[in-house]
Amino acid sequence: MKTEILQQLDGYGDVIKEIEVLRKYGYDYSIDRGTIRQYIDRLHPASLDLKIVDIIEETPSARTLRLASGGYLPPFQAGQYIALTLDIGGVRTGRAYSISSPPNQTGYYDITVRRVEEGYVSSYLLEEASPGQRIVTSGPSGNFFFHPILHDRTMVLIAGGSGITPFMSMIREIVQCGIDREVYLFYGNRSDDDVIFHDELTEISSTFSNIHYIPVIEKPSRNYKGLAGYITADVLTKELRELSGKTYYLCGPPAMYDFCLPQIEGLGIPKKKIRREMYGTPKGISAHPGWPSGVKEDAVVTVLLQGGRTITASSGEPLLNSLERNGVIVPFLCRSGECSMCRVKLLSGKVFQPEGVLLRKSDREYGYIHSCAAYPLEDLEILI
Amino acid sequence: MTDYDVIVIGAGNAGLTAATSLALKGTRVILLERHNIPGGCATSFCRGRFEFEVSLHQLSGLGTAKSPGPLRATLNSLGVLDKLHFVEMRDLYRVIMPGRLDVTLRANRNEAVQELQKKFPAEKEAIASFFDFVYKFFQEVIGAFYLNDPEISRQKYPLFFQYALADSQSILDKYFQDPLLKLALSVYWTYMGVPPRHLPFSDLAALLFAYIEFRPFHMKGGSQMLSNTLLDQLLRHGGTARFNCAVERILVKDGAVRGVKTEQGDEITARCVLSNASPIATYIEMMDRDEVPEPLITQMRSSTVGTSFFTIYMGFDCDPSELGITETTNFICATTDSDRDYTESKRLECDESSFIISCYDVSDPDFSPPGTCQAALVTMKYAEPWLRLPPSQYASVKYRCAEQLLARSEEVFPGLWGHLEEMEIATPITHMRYLGHPGGGPYGFDQYAKDSTMFVSPKPPIVGLYGAGAWYGSAGYQPTLMSGASAARAILKELKA
Repeated sequence: MKTEILQQLDGYGDVIKEIEVLRKYGYDYSIDRGTIRQYIDRLHPASLDLKIVDIIEETPSARTLRLASGGYLPPFQAGQYIALTLDIGGVRTGRAYSISSPPNQTGYYDITVRRVEEGYVSSYLLEEASPGQRIVTSGPSGNFFFHPILHDRTMVLIAGGSGITPFMSMIREIVQCGIDREVYLFYGNRSDDDVIFHDELTEISSTFSNIHYIPVIEKPSRNYKGLAGYITADVLTKELRELSGKTYYLCGPPAMYDFCLPQIEGLGIPKKKIRREMYGTPKGISAHPGWPSGVKEDAVVTVLLQGGRTITASSGEPLLNSLERNGVIVPFLCRSGECSMCRVKLLSGKVFQPEGVLLRKSDREYGYIHSCAAYPLEDLEILI
Repeated sequence: MTDYDVIVIGAGNAGLTAATSLALKGTRVILLERHNIPGGCATSFCRGRFEFEVSLHQLSGLGTAKSPGPLRATLNSLGVLDKLHFVEMRDLYRVIMPGRLDVTLRANRNEAVQELQKKFPAEKEAIASFFDFVYKFFQEVIGAFYLNDPEISRQKYPLFFQYALADSQSILDKYFQDPLLKLALSVYWTYMGVPPRHLPFSDLAALLFAYIEFRPFHMKGGSQMLSNTLLDQLLRHGGTARFNCAVERILVKDGAVRGVKTEQGDEITARCVLSNASPIATYIEMMDRDEVPEPLITQMRSSTVGTSFFTIYMGFDCDPSELGITETTNFICATTDSDRDYTESKRLECDESSFIISCYDVSDPDFSPPGTCQAALVTMKYAEPWLRLPPSQYASVKYRCAEQLLARSEEVFPGLWGHLEEMEIATPITHMRYLGHPGGGPYGFDQYAKDSTMFVSPKPPIVGLYGAGAWYGSAGYQPTLMSGASAARAILKELKA
């Protein structure tokens, strides 16, 4: 609109005066340079530059890496994870690890790593990582934590193997900060000589009446006196007596979910009372329901990156891993199909996405996939 | 030869429509987005079995094929109108002040007038004449302002010349006595971010007129579907887009832009750069002080960073009817004093805040999985108190504020709390994190009359540099989507010259 018209509007002069006064006394935004980043970084830094300050041997197959920044660390909620970015043999890759230290410990984050069969990253962290080494991580992330509005004050924690780590953070916080919450920890392990945090948990449960520790050993040794077998509906019912008014949390390998979830649901626990941590992608993906019968896990396919080069990938492996092996950088966080950080667009070809991958409706419509949980079934063309 | 004709910084609503318009005209355009997904505010996220809509409440200006609104034409020219499935809402809103007021206004002038007359019989005539006035005034606004009548004069547009810069409160006071009636007609002020005492009457009239005449809409798949559709259209027409690609610097030489440098260190050259990032990020973060013309810094001095929001995204294990939610849009008011309400938005606590509950499944039963529904509970909150909060207290304050709002919702929709299955809480800091805006403000600067495009030009005085989006004009889906398309037209003109 032309100025000479604007000038005729009633009140025009008053607005001009306002602007003049405000410009005279107003705020010079140029002093704010960098402040948005600073405010966000206090809570949600895009990355953290940490150092391994200590390594604690936990069991023959597990160790805790203590990571510190030498200064400030952003707060987290017990149960959250950090994603490590690592350069292993020239390949940039990474994994998400739940923080096992409690949030009240503000000087460091502990992550506890157990050896996984053919575990590319876990082997590296167990064998090669050493004190003094720098590691780049994400800020604390994830939605697996006690939610004071949604969840009950009695928590039933069901852990399998290294799935104990987020629960360790929760339990340590509860006892160290005197939080009024009741915990039943069912902790399943293959054998009784390789139970991470067993001594500490035994000690805590004998000191604090609100922490109940129930180890369940699949193949116990001769002298073992506790519960043997699996975490069944029976075991839960016997130990908990009252099943309602409690929230159930699961963290462990996919096989544990396959076994425990039907057991818990069979007890009539409503779905919304059951929370599960996404725990990486399953091994042996071709055994999953929905996997096409004609495709073998070791099938080799090609992936054309639009406007760029072609790489090869294997059907039995998440696309993200193949991209990383070829030096293609895709951001990631959960590596479990949930957070959508590693989202790429599929232009042609088919992938297998196991159930539980949280895809937006519009992403599905336009062919986006979460590359950490998408297995190439044929030659693909993608847009990063 | 430059790498591209145009670089668009930011894939928010305006960045998306600008880049897509330019690609459709055969311009060599690249869209750079720091996040991994397009949309800015127009996005969604998944929790459990829910996909939560982040920011779209009621899409304005769309209209129907028979009675089209201005946004329809914009989306049509972008070639995306037929690809989206819009859902019309029956009502403007239900406004509730517990114990004192509960009225639902249909998106239909006669029905809305009759309903208000039924509730406020003492002011029957005033209600009818207020609506007459809104309509007459706004028709003049359309002719004089939007259609830019070359023969504009005070004689032809008397109401426009008299009231274009008037505030809303003075008009409400002129027509009405009952504070509850004034409240019932002005709750949309939170869609603009400043209270009726400051809200230009032309904005309040635009809201009432446009939502009644063109109806409020939502769309299947939520606002992320709109963002994904626009991006798809950009890519189909030869445009380029890069995600996880933040712009670190806008390259300027002799008062003209020559391109950008990304955080990864790539330099990309172009004749024009359109910023959909805030002017503060654009001029302060991406440029050096000596490259920014002094008038730009001076111009910003008179503006204040606008409001953000405290939002609870709620997924319920039942249908809306079981919660007693019968309308999509529910304004739940704590007071009839909008100045008091506005002051509350500068406080951390939410125990006395007014708020909105938008339950999308009321209009679109497919919005959430069968047997469930979702709602967004939103209250206006400035970022300032949140920035002062020690990080160690952040989570507990977030939960406390959410509990305060849920307790207040229980008064209106008893049993709501018990049906919660999933929830996510977003604070002004959350919006700041995902938008990168100062103050976490989706509305940009506070939108007083002095901040409108009548007084502040969206075009910065740097050759080849453009701005589009809420920070450079009006906030909201319709204005930002249209501002991108309009910036694209200005750029095309420059490229042809």
